[in-house]
Amino acid sequence: MNDFEFQRYITIGQYLPTGSAIHRLDPRTRLVAGGLLLIAVTAAPSLAGIGLGLIALFLLTTLARVPLRYAIKGILAPLPFILLLVILQILLGPEGEAQPWILFGPIRITATSLINGARILLRFPALILAITLFSACTATTEAVRGLDRLLHPLARIGLPVQDFVLMVQVSLHFLPLLAQEAERIVKSQASRGAEWGTGRGGVLRRVRQTLPILVPLFLVSLQRAENLALAMEARGYQGQAGRTSLITLRFDRRDALALALVVALSVVILVV
Amino acid sequence: MAIVGANGSGKSTLARHLNALLVPDDGYVRVGGLNTRDPAHRAEIRRTVGMVFQRPEDQIVATVVEHDVAFGLENLGLPPDEIRARVEDALKAVSLWDERERPPHMLSAGQMQRLALAGILAMRPDCIVFDEATAMLDPVGRQATRQMMRDLNDDGLTILTITHRMDEALDADRVVVLDHGRVALDDVPARIFRSAEVLHRLGLERPSLDKLATSLRRAMPGLPEDATTVASLVGAIDAYPHQTALLAQEPPAPPAQTPAIIEAHGLSHIYMRGTPFARQSLDHVDITVGSGGAHGLVGATGSGKSTLMQHLNGLLRPQEGTVHIAGHDLSDAETDLRAIRRMAGLVFQRPEAQIFEQYVGDEIAYGPRLAGLTGEELRSRVRWAMDLLGLDFEGFKDRMTFALSGGEQRKVALASTLALQPRVLLLDEPTAGLDPRSRAELLERLSGLRRTGMTLILASHEMADITALTQHITVMDHGRSQHTGSVAEVFADGDRLRNWGLEQPVITQVAEGLRSRGWSLVAGIVDAEHLSHALARQLTAATPEPRR
Repeated sequence: MNDFEFQRYITIGQYLPTGSAIHRLDPRTRLVAGGLLLIAVTAAPSLAGIGLGLIALFLLTTLARVPLRYAIKGILAPLPFILLLVILQILLGPEGEAQPWILFGPIRITATSLINGARILLRFPALILAITLFSACTATTEAVRGLDRLLHPLARIGLPVQDFVLMVQVSLHFLPLLAQEAERIVKSQASRGAEWGTGRGGVLRRVRQTLPILVPLFLVSLQRAENLALAMEARGYQGQAGRTSLITLRFDRRDALALALVVALSVVILVV
Repeated sequence: MAIVGANGSGKSTLARHLNALLVPDDGYVRVGGLNTRDPAHRAEIRRTVGMVFQRPEDQIVATVVEHDVAFGLENLGLPPDEIRARVEDALKAVSLWDERERPPHMLSAGQMQRLALAGILAMRPDCIVFDEATAMLDPVGRQATRQMMRDLNDDGLTILTITHRMDEALDADRVVVLDHGRVALDDVPARIFRSAEVLHRLGLERPSLDKLATSLRRAMPGLPEDATTVASLVGAIDAYPHQTALLAQEPPAPPAQTPAIIEAHGLSHIYMRGTPFARQSLDHVDITVGSGGAHGLVGATGSGKSTLMQHLNGLLRPQEGTVHIAGHDLSDAETDLRAIRRMAGLVFQRPEAQIFEQYVGDEIAYGPRLAGLTGEELRSRVRWAMDLLGLDFEGFKDRMTFALSGGEQRKVALASTLALQPRVLLLDEPTAGLDPRSRAELLERLSGLRRTGMTLILASHEMADITALTQHITVMDHGRSQHTGSVAEVFADGDRLRNWGLEQPVITQVAEGLRSRGWSLVAGIVDAEHLSHALARQLTAATPEPRR
């Protein structure tokens, strides 16, 4: 019975200190490499390219000593939505395509639409895996520090880079917390007779029961965000300007090598 | 210095003005001569005055322990080497150095609170404000935090603590009592705690030693009421002439174990099973709860009390082992979990955080409505539940839930579970965060429910709550049910309790102190009345005047 453990399905935003070779790279290397892979997988035109990206990401997951089963769980959670997208894509394929395999009223299944569907089916898990892997390997402080340095040129021309960086990180940090709070609220409603965790109840019923969760979840999140802001301010946080860091960044040969490999991989993913 | 006062008296708001988290609408606050109104001083003021908040997990900013301690130092703009050195000092000072590379959410609540303190200590403040920093901790964690406050104070730091525990306020040199946003009293603790009447009006109570001394005075007139430590009270009592040859009075027989209503055997539970975050929460727990009466669950934070409670009302099915609730086997797929959960109502920690309806009446009606009640029947059920908690039906049913005070919200949350008319009521830390008056009132209501024949199961860090309500206790330690016994038996052995992260109630500490000095008392006395009678028997009647 794991109906209440929402956290187990949220792998994005969870840091896993395994101390692997990837964890020891310069945060900037991790950021750029992660960004490159994300872009490559998103933009890859061919099925082969996306597939290659997915395989590479699984290899990296192993290299980072992040348990595969755990990573896969994060992909499985949104799978129903992805499948829905795939089916829509297949059924409502582009018109004017030659030789539909099946033609039934407005439904046309063509070779192209099947390939399109397959692409979605691979692309989304690859994206989720990339983000999961990045957050498992990078502590928020490291990411903030690295991003801050990377985006430094933009800050010079007056963009609020540092606030943006912090915002992104706090939101990532908040995802597991939200899952935790949702769990608490659902449990308290279940103990008052709501149909949760009994393995029964239709889809409509479940949707209707989601509504009473949203109000307290929203309030609790606001409260937690406020508490966090308060704790940060109380420790003298006044924006990133003038901050120093515990983490000293060092870009060495291993970083260069890792980055070169990722660049090569991304090019292959995009070209294949 | 300590700041005390009822819920909503303005303690936290005051504290937040002290390091410029809030700026006064009127008047001024000066920290080391700097006005908090001037934004240019803010950084210096926040370095000077550090704050530790109530909920440990809300103060953690980073995903790695040492990064979190460094956060404030990074804000100060210190060079990395200096930061590293100070982080090391601070983590060693709170004995968390070995955990420096772990993610904070894997720490226990006590460790997290120490981490929050390390983050402040690293900034080398002159003053630290603890805003109910001990509220969520178990007795041992609480003691450790208090000791740390005393040590820091000895090192020359100004310590300001906000608390609902009068015993902790006794540590201070000066106590300020707030009432509806005004300073009601400002004095040394001995004078503040003199009048029970005044304190009650302010939503407070006297420290437990003072209360005990007062009730013992009937047997021992002239007993000084201002003892500040257990040892000094024991000494004062021991000074009365008494005979020691008497046999200890047999304890009143503990109430016989009634037929079981809930039984768990070999119950194990692993959170996040199959993920890198897997954590064994319950490890072959055995527990039997008799029907009627009240059963206590005690244990350090993270010992598995809350997880166990969620099994005892059918919220979780056992991963391993069996749970029977009123004869129904939870492992049986045929068992209707909804019916079980209605029969065994569970009130969570801080239940008011889960209120979701706009109106009080709707919130309380949620459960019965799902159970199929409508119209007049539903209405009278809601009225019944509100009556039980002393909430006036007409006066409260149309009030907005979010506009209620903290104590009222807690009552609404409790009423919404009671509205299911459960046979068993499970309560997880029901008095945490309540001021002394609301706490006493809630305990009174709960013992009223117990008298109606409802079975209560109570998990609490508050040993005084446990002794006030329960007869049998199960001690949890690292996910195992270490011991089950009567209240007197469990509380008799102080050393064993400390190993479990617990402590003896003050009354028991005094009784055991007297016992070791040769007084003939039975072990594990938890009741002031009982102690008073036992002591009276041994006094040599002719000499009522104590030697002081």
